[in-house]
Amino acid sequence: MCDYMFNKIKHHINVFSVTSILAAFFIVLPLFNILLELFTAPSSAWLHIREHLLAGYVINTIILIVAVGVFSGIIGTFSAYVVTRFEFKGRKVLSWFLILPLAMPSYIAAYVYADMTSYTGTFSRFMRSLHIPLSIDIMSMPGVIFIFVLTLYPYVYLMVKGALSKQSASFIENARLLGASKVRILVTVVLPLLRPAMIAGMLLVVLETLNDYGVVAYFNIRVFSFAIFDAWFRLGDIVSAIRLSAILMIIVFAVVFIERMIRGKRRYTIHIKTKPIERVYLKGYKKIVLPAILWVIMAFAFFVPVAQLLWYATKTYPLLFDLNFIYLVINSLSVALTATFLIVFIALMLANFNRGRQSSFKKSLLKITNLGYAIPGAVIAVAVLVFFIDADTTFYSIYHWFNEDSPRLLMTSSLLMLIFAYVLRFMAIGYNSIEASYDKIGEKFTEAAYLLKTSKLKTLLSIDLPLIKSGLISAAIIVFIDVIKELPLTLILRPTNYETLASQVYKFAREEMLQEAAIPSLVMISLSSLAIYIFTHRKKKGVVKHVR
Amino acid sequence: MRKLLLGLSLFTVITTLSACMLGVNDDELSVTVYSERHYDTDQALYDAFYEETNIKVNIVSAGADELINRLDSEGEDTQADLLMIADAGRLYRAKDLELLQTVESDELNANIPQNYRDVDGMWYGLTKRARILVYHPERVEVDELSTYEALTEEAFNNRVVTRTSGNIYNQSLMASFVAIMGEEGARDFASGLVNNFARTPQGNDRDQAKAVMEGIADVAIMNTYYMGRMLNSTDPYEREVAETLRVFFPNQETTGTHVNISAAGVTRHAKNKDAAVQLLEFLSSEQAQESFANANYEYPVNEAVALNPLLESWGDFKAQDIQLNALGEYAYQAAIIMDEEGWE
Repeated sequence: MCDYMFNKIKHHINVFSVTSILAAFFIVLPLFNILLELFTAPSSAWLHIREHLLAGYVINTIILIVAVGVFSGIIGTFSAYVVTRFEFKGRKVLSWFLILPLAMPSYIAAYVYADMTSYTGTFSRFMRSLHIPLSIDIMSMPGVIFIFVLTLYPYVYLMVKGALSKQSASFIENARLLGASKVRILVTVVLPLLRPAMIAGMLLVVLETLNDYGVVAYFNIRVFSFAIFDAWFRLGDIVSAIRLSAILMIIVFAVVFIERMIRGKRRYTIHIKTKPIERVYLKGYKKIVLPAILWVIMAFAFFVPVAQLLWYATKTYPLLFDLNFIYLVINSLSVALTATFLIVFIALMLANFNRGRQSSFKKSLLKITNLGYAIPGAVIAVAVLVFFIDADTTFYSIYHWFNEDSPRLLMTSSLLMLIFAYVLRFMAIGYNSIEASYDKIGEKFTEAAYLLKTSKLKTLLSIDLPLIKSGLISAAIIVFIDVIKELPLTLILRPTNYETLASQVYKFAREEMLQEAAIPSLVMISLSSLAIYIFTHRKKKGVVKHVR
Repeated sequence: MRKLLLGLSLFTVITTLSACMLGVNDDELSVTVYSERHYDTDQALYDAFYEETNIKVNIVSAGADELINRLDSEGEDTQADLLMIADAGRLYRAKDLELLQTVESDELNANIPQNYRDVDGMWYGLTKRARILVYHPERVEVDELSTYEALTEEAFNNRVVTRTSGNIYNQSLMASFVAIMGEEGARDFASGLVNNFARTPQGNDRDQAKAVMEGIADVAIMNTYYMGRMLNSTDPYEREVAETLRVFFPNQETTGTHVNISAAGVTRHAKNKDAAVQLLEFLSSEQAQESFANANYEYPVNEAVALNPLLESWGDFKAQDIQLNALGEYAYQAAIIMDEEGWE
């Protein structure tokens, strides 16, 4: 009996399960402190929030995520469809340009658009010079939706494009042979096959929206992330802030649950050797209209704000020659790359762990490791800080043994804490996109390898990795860009005197010095754009492989 | 692929290891400041301080609440020696959380007037700013303006803008009213003001001035230094706004204009208390005050120091006569009133 148990456990011990369990352990530990706070009695601030503010928060949050989710779903899917199915002039450029808005942090887009539409802004002045009495109030719910959709739709675009380029032509050809109309093929064949990718992309968009604080605070849009900071800072009540986070977490789980439900048990694995779809040349008015729509999206999401930033930069460019500036870049890059690598690695282990037979243990473990994304940055920051201080206090005797002058808060005052927080926060992003790629390749190759008694690690390296390479890379792009843009964690957890591009942008923007914020913003956008460029133009066996 | 993976792993290990070393201090005498301020001109002052004392100044900058929270979590292990924040209400909170300690210094007492420092010597004001009215001279006669309270009258219906209730400066303004007029008076002010708002509060202080310029409203409640900054903006159109609009110091005949400070206090668990006190004394000295205050077009607390010509041109004004601890004491009550009266 005992032997049997031991063998059973031994059977489950492998590099995937061990890494996954360790990761879950380290992620849940800091959050535990936070959750404990939930069991304290409600404060008077909480009663006040519940009576006067909570209903508004819930309604605004729902309006915001539904609108942002739907519109970015439409824009992302539409643009991905156009660039993968049709051939037209500028298609190759557009197919990677359309990812670029991901390099534009929402908060920067918000600052820039708010400035452009303010009385002294470029847009308002232009309208006045034409004697058109048009002023746009961007600091409103439609304005926030506009900002989020434009800066976040690439999540949907990336997912859907990935799925489309993997989609087999045979389904469509069969449908066509059977005489189905183009619209019918789109609605009954293409879209249903795309649904998992679309929903996964929209999920990321919604989660990013729920987590943003920069935009909603600046525009005074009373949603949950706003509420959490408001309770914490203005009412000075961190327990209420945590209660609100708990409600937000419930909303997020509801969203994730709905996604799983929609996806259902169906696994959209294609067991046919895929044959790429031939792109159709656009004809007639479509030749003009479809690309034009894409260029307009690009203009609003990227070119206009970048042009405005460049214009500000012409006035403040000497900042660039400041010696410290290079350190900002180095700091941002090294932290972002390290966090990205760790996240992708752990996410890969998790995704592997999740394959094969499902169990409730696996499910709950994964839920735990993806928890970070549902919790606002600032709450994670508090949790991680408290956790590291506890850890340092516990391990101090060890530090002391190695080095008598060791500071007590060794890890807390190091970058380790910030990197740890990034991993906790962005694990879900890495995991979701890796899981989606596993979903697509199915398990038959892996199972075949296991049957042939290939070790798990070897199977991973020689069978799975090459198959999901593009999924891994898109996971890495998204995570890298997310980390480099990240604000609240960076601000709260960075070591003494450690500045990054994002922290610098925030400093200037908070002091209403938008023009001075232009240079670090542009550098940050360029770095992310470069990442996007490298990943979309990487060489394969010496040949440039263009994104399809 | 394998090479890439290997390279990346190595990189990760090295970064993580070097990251651990980053927090380790060298032996040089230094003082660590948790600060909300981050003006380029401040660095020149810290350099001068280093020249004079051989004490290096390390700055960790973030928002006030993040810094207070970090200080609280770090407890006795904190590296911070000085906490510098641009709101008396938040300093009160830090004091209330027992994050600060008493400092006794004749020099500080001589440099800083009594109402701009804490009764227990836990924090000392360094610069001050007034929350004033900014109006469009073509649409508002100066005679129309008198007090903050007057903005709640019928005549100003749909003509007033200010920031959100979440903004710390408005919260402190309301707290000062609770201190002066009591809860009922403050509540009447809030409800009357909300009633006269030309739009739902949004944007920053500069946006309020722009709204007045644009004609959305005629009067804005905002801080003095934003006018100074706009007048010196790199954007010519912003300068135009600031040049067109006029400032008015309200309540001169009555309770005085609301004044807030940026101030600093030595942390309870400071490792370098003496150095921190030295830095405080240095920053309050005549030598440093001018550039420290001018960095942000603020009023120096040290009365021996000359004002910036712009502030000089606005003339003397009467400030609210309250202990600034009140801004913290009534902050929560003020927030509740603003919510209840629908100030978004």
